[in-house]
Amino acid sequence: MRSPVFFVVALVVGAVVFAASRYVENEYFFFAGYVVLQFIVLATAWNILGGYCGYVNFGSAAFFALGAYATVTIHKLYPMPIPVLMLVGGVVSGIVGFATGYLTLRLRGAFFAIATLALAVVLQTLIINWDFVGGARGAYVIRPNSFPLLGSYIQYLFGMMLLLTVISVAGARAIERSRLGYGFATIRDDELAAEASGVPTLRLKLIATTISGALMGMAGAPFPYYIGYVEPGTAFGLAYAVNSIAMPMIGGTTSWIGPVIGAILLGTVQQVATVTISSAVNLLIVGILLVDFVIIAPNGIVGLVRDRRIGSTTVEPTVFVLLYVLNLLPTIFLAKQGQAAQSIGLVFWAILFFVTYARGRMIGRVWLMVFPWIGAGLSLVPVTSETPVVSTVVLWSQGVAWLAIDPPTAVLIVSLVIQVIGMIYGAALERRTPAMTTP
Amino acid sequence: MTSPLLDVEDLSKRFGGFVAVDGVSLSVKPGERLGLIGPNGSGKSTLVNCICGTLHHESGSVRFEGRALDGLPAHQRTRLGIARSFQLPRPFTSMSVMENVRIPLLYTVNARPGPKQSARAIEERCAELIQLVGLAGKARKWPRDLTQVEMRKLELARAMAAEPKLLIADEAMAGLSHSEIDDILALLMRLNERGITIILIEHIMRAVMSFSQRVVVLVSAKKIADAPPERIIQDPEVVRAYLGQ
Repeated sequence: MRSPVFFVVALVVGAVVFAASRYVENEYFFFAGYVVLQFIVLATAWNILGGYCGYVNFGSAAFFALGAYATVTIHKLYPMPIPVLMLVGGVVSGIVGFATGYLTLRLRGAFFAIATLALAVVLQTLIINWDFVGGARGAYVIRPNSFPLLGSYIQYLFGMMLLLTVISVAGARAIERSRLGYGFATIRDDELAAEASGVPTLRLKLIATTISGALMGMAGAPFPYYIGYVEPGTAFGLAYAVNSIAMPMIGGTTSWIGPVIGAILLGTVQQVATVTISSAVNLLIVGILLVDFVIIAPNGIVGLVRDRRIGSTTVEPTVFVLLYVLNLLPTIFLAKQGQAAQSIGLVFWAILFFVTYARGRMIGRVWLMVFPWIGAGLSLVPVTSETPVVSTVVLWSQGVAWLAIDPPTAVLIVSLVIQVIGMIYGAALERRTPAMTTP
Repeated sequence: MTSPLLDVEDLSKRFGGFVAVDGVSLSVKPGERLGLIGPNGSGKSTLVNCICGTLHHESGSVRFEGRALDGLPAHQRTRLGIARSFQLPRPFTSMSVMENVRIPLLYTVNARPGPKQSARAIEERCAELIQLVGLAGKARKWPRDLTQVEMRKLELARAMAAEPKLLIADEAMAGLSHSEIDDILALLMRLNERGITIILIEHIMRAVMSFSQRVVVLVSAKKIADAPPERIIQDPEVVRAYLGQ
């Protein structure tokens, strides 16, 4: 599909989503939806530099916060409409992106990543000491209650963020398929060869940091109106830096759709986790998922679908067992958070099924899949996890030491033990007989 | 006498205390086939890197068509007409063979002054180049699916795509069989007939001696000989330092 056509299609999809959202009664939907959209923009922006060019930016929060603080500054001086604020935030962050790029892009790999991290710290320190925008105290930005024609103001913010999402996703897709996108990809693959082919690498990297920074700033600009109170700790929060890396990584960094998938998936899980458990669990979930994807699917979901190939590190039995245990922990933790949290638990159970299935196929022992099924059965199905008979049997089998534990926990522990033993047994079997090499 | 295409004058490059190229002067006439030989570590690749702008030298100068290149980044030198292949193939791994060849067309040929080539013209030119190096059936393959020989051919195709005036082939034949070497030599010969000046860096004496009109010998960062191939093999200093005694 040609880029202008895609832009129109994306715009129509955005309009349909917005029209459909008018029928949503619950205001909270817009608050949650806004955050997911904001992360799509951030992930897409990160991916233009990180995915297309291969330069990992740890300072996403700084660009986001700059956009937000540009809005705070303007709000104090002379309040302006959101679209204008977005443009100003974009320009400010774009300029800082360009300057950062100019100062740091001669650095490669880890050095560039550290430099961007340092930028975030420097900017946060500046903001903390800038009294006009509230300094460390933070600043209140009173959101109008309503917006003409739309009704509530949050719906307006949601709509604006939706528009920005459409623009950035369509923009990222257009870049990917253009001469510029090819140039970015050569930088990611091999900078020396790129230069030898006539690609002006430094200039292209500056273009990438500028676009990437500008989009992050635009995503941050409406933030003060959304949150109502901005302080450096939230605006420069770890969540922005981590999420804008994790989302493209999980979705897949080489194409525009990767960050979109990653942001929708991870953003939604986080919103559900915030409501059902607590907002602090978010980062734990992101962390575990990130470890999973780096091991199972280094090229993200997009890569998994495209190559139909699983990361080679799962071949190592110890890595596989550790991966399995790592994903078991949240299922146990989440099971104790009540029924609502179980929906997030399903994500991890799904990963366990997938990992064991892939592993089983790789080594010719598909029956490995039985273990997560047993585990999920025992801990998810109310009949087994709550029936006194089952629990009692389990308790007996566990001996008196665990008598003090409530039945659901005991069931969980048994499920854990069964699964771990199963996995270790599987690994041990493989050690003895040479594994089949074909997946 | 025609003015030289490439003129390297008293060029030196050091890495810390190690002198990799020590006051080398060298000139290449338009349309010439020059062989550059020397033992491992004698500074051949460093010299090439300094000519192409991958490395920056400390003293001396490089002139191309009378223009001083000192300080110009590598991509601008490519646009002026110096193309190279790398000693170890460096393909763009996330792109198909076709796309690999398309990059110099997009960024070098289309960046030069004059009319721009259309997408269709570029596509045809890519196919033509791939055909020329003998990778016709592999246009849609990824570099990871190529053999070492094919990878070197891709490296040459990509260098040629930039439509250079000077092509520097850095050990394009290492590890290849007799007939494969002949293939690549024939290819370079054809390019030379079209007017492209070629510098061939090679260990394989048979290839260098049959291809070059003139051979330059580097030993321990210094140029020790610069003569036609038949005189080179008789030069006692070259024989002692390079061929061993």
